[in-house]
Amino acid sequence: MTAMGVDHATALRSWSARAPAPPATGDLPPAELVRHFHPDHQADHQSELRVGACAGMRCPSGLADLLQANAHIDDVDLAGIRNLHADVLVLGGGAAGVVAALTAARDGAAVMLATKLRLGDGNTVMAEGGIQAAVGADDSLQQHFDDTLAGGHATADPELVAALVSDGPAAIRWLMAEGMAFDQQNDQGDGASTLRRLRPGGTTVARLLSYRDFTGLEMMRALREAVLLQPGVEVRERYAALELLTDPHGRCVGAVLLDLERERLVQVRAGAVILATGGAGRTHLGGNATSNHYGATADGLVLAYRVGACLREIDSFQYHPTGLAWPRHLRGLLITEAVRALGARLVNGDGARFIDELAPRDVVAAAILREIDAGRGVERDGLTGVLLDTPTLERERPGVLQNHLITLVRLARKAGIDPASEPLLIAPTLHYQNGGVAVDTNGQSSIPGLLCAGEIAGGIHGRNRLMGNALLETVVYGRRAGKAAVTTMRNPSGRAVGITHLGDWQRGLIHAGLPLDRRAPVLFPAYGHADIERRIHARRKSAL
Amino acid sequence: MSADRKVRLTFDGQDITVTVGTSLIQAWIESGRPLVDNVGCMGQGVCGACRVLVRRSGSGTVETALACETPVEDGMQIASVDYFPAHRPHRYDLHAEVEVESAAAKPIDRIFPEAAHCRHCGGCDRACPRDIEVERMVNLAATGEAREAAALFDHCVMCNLCVAACPEDIDPAHLGQFVRRMAAATTTLPVDLDQRLQEIQTGHQPIRRPPSPGRHES
Repeated sequence: MTAMGVDHATALRSWSARAPAPPATGDLPPAELVRHFHPDHQADHQSELRVGACAGMRCPSGLADLLQANAHIDDVDLAGIRNLHADVLVLGGGAAGVVAALTAARDGAAVMLATKLRLGDGNTVMAEGGIQAAVGADDSLQQHFDDTLAGGHATADPELVAALVSDGPAAIRWLMAEGMAFDQQNDQGDGASTLRRLRPGGTTVARLLSYRDFTGLEMMRALREAVLLQPGVEVRERYAALELLTDPHGRCVGAVLLDLERERLVQVRAGAVILATGGAGRTHLGGNATSNHYGATADGLVLAYRVGACLREIDSFQYHPTGLAWPRHLRGLLITEAVRALGARLVNGDGARFIDELAPRDVVAAAILREIDAGRGVERDGLTGVLLDTPTLERERPGVLQNHLITLVRLARKAGIDPASEPLLIAPTLHYQNGGVAVDTNGQSSIPGLLCAGEIAGGIHGRNRLMGNALLETVVYGRRAGKAAVTTMRNPSGRAVGITHLGDWQRGLIHAGLPLDRRAPVLFPAYGHADIERRIHARRKSAL
Repeated sequence: MSADRKVRLTFDGQDITVTVGTSLIQAWIESGRPLVDNVGCMGQGVCGACRVLVRRSGSGTVETALACETPVEDGMQIASVDYFPAHRPHRYDLHAEVEVESAAAKPIDRIFPEAAHCRHCGGCDRACPRDIEVERMVNLAATGEAREAAALFDHCVMCNLCVAACPEDIDPAHLGQFVRRMAAATTTLPVDLDQRLQEIQTGHQPIRRPPSPGRHES
């Protein structure tokens, strides 16, 4: 946020004088807007990977630093540490991890689920909008398939998309059986209910199922109880994964975990490992604010890449157009897309509209960044964005804020703003990792024994994700990976299990002239001052 | 500029000076201290991870709050409430409960027997940062009005403060989720969903792939 904008008070006067602002005249085609202004296309923030299975692939420099980092631990750290065992080890405690754990346990596996914060702490609870599934009579699996593929600019793997949409209705039934509520309606008056459906951006038909405007929270509440009560699942909270274990054949056979409470390492040998560690928003790629949970630091992506897993589309991230830009302590938090779907306009510092507010997310985000770049943004306390015109929306549709935008109103109140009388200052916020670890329809990565589910998996959305397909992905691929882990798990064999893959990795770093003292996964954002090294080596020091 | 005004507060025994207009969790971060637990959604107020006890300057009472959505005030005293380990004393199998729902005795008496022992102390109500009528939910559940109880628990953010506050070990948060889950799981399958599932099962929802398939990398 270096560009200066129009001073906030001046901008409010312009807005007030011109409201309702007339439609924008698009002077740049959408593709040009995205190419010039979307963060994915800012060349100075991108680098080429120089080591590993995807050497030559481009990604944001901040992510490249993590993917090409050294491990936190050496062989010596494993001497004498506790050994635990599980048939299936699940890393991550959001919806994808919990669904995978439930599925594997019900198929007879002894499951350990490890998560670095609490069970349920992840981006799932923050999902407001809903979950897509083609259940309407005017809808079909084909339409969901076509919309998803087109939304991802035809870059997703069609087989992965087909699996996603085909399992959609069954995933909803499964969630209901776990005790998740969905909004329903009874239009015919015959006692037979149907699911309430909304139309998400980028789709041809109303397909978004929801529970109020906190669908993800409702989902996680039910799943959290389910997994806590599930025989055969051992949940370990505050256990962070530092490294995957491999055998001499390159199979993944477990992980080294850091017990954050006791500050000690444990190793878990497992027949199969499921990564469900989510995304990367809290690495603040390109210095951007994020809508993500505190724990979203790309840990699983780093671990998978270091044991040789192939990645895809890791240069593609979704920036949600409307994150809060002010006040500072709420920066990056999400204002739901529903507010624009209901008719709210975006207005720059001159009180003018500049984009069709319902264009795809990447286009709207790029258009906002262009306004800021050109000095037409709105500046308040050194933070720059554009105005989201909620007062005009409320004037045009009285009651809309209280009835349909409960979470928005609550958030505005925290910012000290009455959204019925003052516009919110918003700017694009880093929201979702479109790509990730390359998987097949079972969530199987290119490394035997290593599966993925949820945001960490790549190929399901291509280069852009539709609203509502993220929650669906966690359930569909959580179930698929959980099932596949049980059928493909192997008894981790013998003494040769360890972290010997690090030898080749470190030689590769040295060859490429990359530093050995940069370490990952980082586990927490930089401003968390976690001092992981001290926590890992506390025991080593006390042994001396 | 007002944004530069500072306030002083005591957070987990440490004196912190921070800028006004910030939240308690951001104040802790701004002070440069480590933050590796009791943190989550950072302001959205949906995860219940950052529970704190707060006493405001000049006040004799201590209140519960979420640190991510509570603004700093001069002279505040704050103490984190640590998380609760994932241990569940009240065990049940939802799928089995759904099957016997109509036949069996009230499941709440069996699974949450302490719910009938509520002594109406109001501790759970005071503990809830979402102002849920927790005690009323417990009482409704105990008298068999499970659906009414479920409706009251809609805004729960899983902070578990009511669990800590209850002197009778009722586990209100988990009782609340039990009645909510039962209500959802015993709802008749929506007709549109049922219809679509049948179409899929009978092969009436084929998916044609595009003529030039995308990449297969794995």
